[in-house]
Amino acid sequence: MPAKPSPAHSAEPSASGSHAFVEERRKAALEVYEQEDTPTWRRSGFWTTSLRGLDLDTLEPKRYEPGLPELDLGDDEHSALIVQRGASVVHTDVSDDRITVMPLDQAVEEHGELVREHLGRRMPFEGDKFAAGSAAFWTGGVFIHVPKNLQIEKPIQVVWLIDEPGTAQWAHTLAVVGEHSECRIREFFLAPDFEGQALHAGSFELFAKTGAQVDVAHYQDWGSGEVFDLSTRRVDIGRDARVKWVPIHLGGRLTKQTLDIITAEEGSDMKHTGLYFTERDEHLDLFTSDRHEAGHTTGDTVWKGVLTGDSRASYEGLIHIIPKATEVDTYLQTHQMLLSPRAKGDAIPSLIVEVDNVRASHGGTVGELDPEQIFYMMTRGVPRAEAVRVLVEGYFEEVVQRLDDPGLEDLVRRRIAEKLESAKDQVREFIGERAEAV
Amino acid sequence: MTLQIENLHVRTEEREILHGVDLVVNKGETHALMGPNGSGKSTLANTLMGNPNYEVTEGRIVLNGEDLTEAAPDERARAGLFMAFQYPATIPGVSVANFLRMAVNAKRDEPIKVKEFGAMLKENMDLLKIRREFTSRYLNEGFSGGEKKRAEILQLAMLQPDFAVLDETDSGLDIDALRIVSDGVNAMRGPERGFLIITHYTRILDYVKPEFVHILIDGRIVQQGGAELASELEDKGYEWVREEVAASAG
Repeated sequence: MPAKPSPAHSAEPSASGSHAFVEERRKAALEVYEQEDTPTWRRSGFWTTSLRGLDLDTLEPKRYEPGLPELDLGDDEHSALIVQRGASVVHTDVSDDRITVMPLDQAVEEHGELVREHLGRRMPFEGDKFAAGSAAFWTGGVFIHVPKNLQIEKPIQVVWLIDEPGTAQWAHTLAVVGEHSECRIREFFLAPDFEGQALHAGSFELFAKTGAQVDVAHYQDWGSGEVFDLSTRRVDIGRDARVKWVPIHLGGRLTKQTLDIITAEEGSDMKHTGLYFTERDEHLDLFTSDRHEAGHTTGDTVWKGVLTGDSRASYEGLIHIIPKATEVDTYLQTHQMLLSPRAKGDAIPSLIVEVDNVRASHGGTVGELDPEQIFYMMTRGVPRAEAVRVLVEGYFEEVVQRLDDPGLEDLVRRRIAEKLESAKDQVREFIGERAEAV
Repeated sequence: MTLQIENLHVRTEEREILHGVDLVVNKGETHALMGPNGSGKSTLANTLMGNPNYEVTEGRIVLNGEDLTEAAPDERARAGLFMAFQYPATIPGVSVANFLRMAVNAKRDEPIKVKEFGAMLKENMDLLKIRREFTSRYLNEGFSGGEKKRAEILQLAMLQPDFAVLDETDSGLDIDALRIVSDGVNAMRGPERGFLIITHYTRILDYVKPEFVHILIDGRIVQQGGAELASELEDKGYEWVREEVAASAG
């Protein structure tokens, strides 16, 4: 069973309670993983996410020697960079000695108390095969701790790299940002274009403590190989803390992710702004929730997607306000744009409000490029293909600018431009057909 | 150098709207095309630019000797034709400055130099009394009616077309804005450029004086004359034109 490494693979047992805690958690998770069948997710309408195509038994954690692979992360500067390739952390470089960034298995030994306090607190795995898999099998892993009252300007960069088919990457990132600290965290999920299957099953937990201000970006570009990404990411925002979270999805054969942002204490505030661009036969299934567990919290969620080729993309965004959370003010909007006659998608905003005296609203659009916009640009001498490119880039610009990070913004813009270039012919055909149809 | 519209028949999916329009605008001339709502004014403007919602079933559009009847909108623009829209589209994520640079470059082989573009932009913004911050806003996003019209005339000034069609540029403008826009248009007039000003009202014609006035009713040009025709229309209204036409037909 190569996809299931022995749970005893990690560090030697130690006297520390944290080690026992982690091992207990692995054991319980392994039971869940083995009990649960490989799931199929169904939603209203046509939507189904199935893992039928994934051959788990052919995948295994792959180990690598230390060394820094060549990477394009947009920014040259960082306060810390940690790179996990396959199952091994191959590079750790912390240039700002006020913060801790290290493999999670090392943190279990060296920062046992923090790990025990936070690991899995927002990551239950009951009934969730792949969350359980990640809890049971993670190797290496990433631990970030920014102690309180610090301002860390340069980004903390985390890279998850899969560079050969047959890889099973079980991932866990735990980030704790102390009271009144400010920092930026970027996680990258990268793979070269290869032929064959791979799996990334990851958990990301961020705890932003009282008054902390954290900018988080997730940048996923798994390339054209058959990478399956089954991940859960949760952000817990403490009292008067603020998290700005920008997930960017630019590739992956099949992505099934749950992204939850939780305003957990009074006065916490979040901005959640994501984008996706699907192409070829990619399948993207995103569920996000904006969960308000305390009063006087605020939220602002905007997601935008573009679909080309034969791709499928479903975005469901939920606002959930629990009973005691009064005086919440939150907003969710989701937009989706089809650029191919064969692509299919949906974008569903939904709302569960269990309390009075809140402001919560949502809106969504699913559509195509507006022919009037294309016509307008063409009357200014801009050829159709360029007009389409500019309009799609403009559509994403609101999200890209929220990264507030010129290097990373350029990386995203460049990749979107490349994807549009390779979809040029089908877009021309699609837009052309529609223009003639009116 | 001329813009020739010859026997133009245009239809939408539902019905024919223009039933054979003939109109010639020479460089250096300013023509007004007037007509009541639903007469086909905007259809003519959109057809001149190649809007795919309108189909030319008969006739031709010829610009400087080149038949553009079947040309794509961007080819028409590069051939020297411009339209200021009545309802310009919003272009999210693209600033006014970036949009203008893209449009200016679309007509050139080599991209315009940053300095040259900046100087040209500043000159035209001063002309139209547009504030600097305006250029960093996304084109038409959240613009007032007046700002949209000013942005259209700014594009006209930057693109320097041979022929410009202004589609109801005056509608929705208060007097101050109308004066600024008119001053902008007047500054653009000259021997090297022709204008076709499409309007329902005579108001703009007090500021931008046309040499020729054409009246379009029910998809046909029914009367033509000089500037005095506009004042007559102002006094007597479109019903008078209808009656005149009916009388001469009878």
